[in-house]
Amino acid sequence: MITNDLEVSVAARRATARPEAAEGPPAVSVRGLRKSYDGVTQALDGVDLDVRRGEVLAILGPNGAGKTTLVEILEGHRTADAGDVSVLGHDPAKRERAFRARIGIVLQEEGIDQTLSVREVVELYSAAYPHPRPAMEVLDLVGLGDRPGVRVSALSGGQRRRLDLALGIAGDPELVFLDEPTTGFDPSARRQSWELISALRDLGKTILLTTHYMDEAQHLADRVVVIARGKVIAEGAPDTLGAGVAEATLVGFRVPYGVDGDHLPLPGGTEVERRDRLVSFRTRTPTRDLAPLLAWAADAGIELEALTVTRPSLEDVYLQLTEEPA
Amino acid sequence: MTLPARSDLALLGRWLRARVRIQLRTGRAVVFTFAFPLVLLVLFNGLNGNATVDAVGAAGQVKFAQFYTPSIGIFSLTTACYTSVILGIATARDSGLLKRVRGTPLPMSIYLGAWLTGAALTGILAVFLLFAVAIPAFGVKIYLDTLPAALVTLVLGAACLSSVGLAVATLAKSADQAMPIAQLTFLPISFISGIWFPLSNAPDWLMKIANFFPLAHIVHAFDKCFSPGVTGGAWSANDLWNVAIWTAAGLFVATRRFRAEPAQQDAGPRRRVLRRAAA
Repeated sequence: MITNDLEVSVAARRATARPEAAEGPPAVSVRGLRKSYDGVTQALDGVDLDVRRGEVLAILGPNGAGKTTLVEILEGHRTADAGDVSVLGHDPAKRERAFRARIGIVLQEEGIDQTLSVREVVELYSAAYPHPRPAMEVLDLVGLGDRPGVRVSALSGGQRRRLDLALGIAGDPELVFLDEPTTGFDPSARRQSWELISALRDLGKTILLTTHYMDEAQHLADRVVVIARGKVIAEGAPDTLGAGVAEATLVGFRVPYGVDGDHLPLPGGTEVERRDRLVSFRTRTPTRDLAPLLAWAADAGIELEALTVTRPSLEDVYLQLTEEPA
Repeated sequence: MTLPARSDLALLGRWLRARVRIQLRTGRAVVFTFAFPLVLLVLFNGLNGNATVDAVGAAGQVKFAQFYTPSIGIFSLTTACYTSVILGIATARDSGLLKRVRGTPLPMSIYLGAWLTGAALTGILAVFLLFAVAIPAFGVKIYLDTLPAALVTLVLGAACLSSVGLAVATLAKSADQAMPIAQLTFLPISFISGIWFPLSNAPDWLMKIANFFPLAHIVHAFDKCFSPGVTGGAWSANDLWNVAIWTAAGLFVATRRFRAEPAQQDAGPRRRVLRRAAA
């Protein structure tokens, strides 16, 4: 697990949730949403979803789970077969201009006019919004403030994504959609993007992001919704997600040579897994179960090598949740 | 809530300027719209400079350049308005540019309107450039009393070619299809429409086919304005009517196709090729 200033600051912000986050009608409200393609593929199979104002919600799911379909319906790019959808009080399927003026969409690898400069593009695409942010302010925010005159065609991949982000927020929208904002990024570009998205949430925006990176959801989101096979299969804060699914803490250690590994004071009633000298077990009460083991080892003067006590990561939870039913 | 019309006009103006800028900065467009017709003009005059051909819409003969300059002008116009609109719109759809626009409050009508007007302006600019070279270099004459008809033909022709181009662009399923579609519709029709050589000896049935399409009428109406001794200000109502009807038909088809498009293509999110960011 990576720990740095960013993570700490995100955690701190999470702890002091902004007051507006819990108040008022939700920014997005979805009930019983269904969508199939060609009448065969059931992309969405009865999805319920709420996004509160000021919240950062991550939609997590494997490829083909229905994430993009869901988001595109919320954006107004697609129409649902059935269900109620309300985004900022609008029905996105009507594609009203006033609705589109209040949302910002950060697309994944979509076209931009190659021959225009960075600044020209931002000014051009924000001109249709009632209250656009000044172009230079937006460019500063995404870290392109030092290259307003560069042509889009001359940007590197990472700079292009920054420009995508700039275009998504240039109209000063209330709700920002981020579709897999860091897919294909190298680690440092990802981290920079995370900082940008954190800056966005500081502006008080409601953010709905899709991702298939667990750590991304963990870093950025107030709440995570896991989608698989067109259904919401779990939701909650990243830390509490999957309580009851993979709740057991994993304890593991290696039995030193010359020690009889068959008569360890291990907890009864749990399944202990042994692989050569490696011993591991899952427990909901790690403190209680470890105490006899540690006392025994200390008394015998034995060092338990590679002793680890691991809480299930979001990734473990996710993998368990999204596992195809046998 | 609708925004005031004045701000929509400002928006249109802004996008129009951007479209012209994009056109002028795109190498392919500049070469095919501006440079290539100039090369043709110089080349054909070098080969045929002393020849004379039948004047269009008037009695007598004119110098080769007098026929050829307006004809190549319409070739320029077609490249800028028809070919590049088909290619540009199909590419814009393929690369997700249209989807990006659909996600903003910019009305598609303003976006496409700016696109078509930008293409038309670029084409008209190319024609002016051609004459700016041909008048001093090849002694091409322009006549004051036919100038209004020439300008109206040029503007209406540009509107027609670009709106028909937009309609045709909606038929192309991908950018790869766009180029062949544009060339296979334009080139054969250009040969029977009097762009490359005068059609005074063409068979009747061929002229009937040519006259169904707007290009022959644009060429005829425009060429006529540069024939010495033509009467009545060189207005050719029949030609202009045909061109106006094609313009309306093109806009009608394009509007319908663009309205229907999202539903039509709703076959699930397209699989993206993930490109590694070079950051």
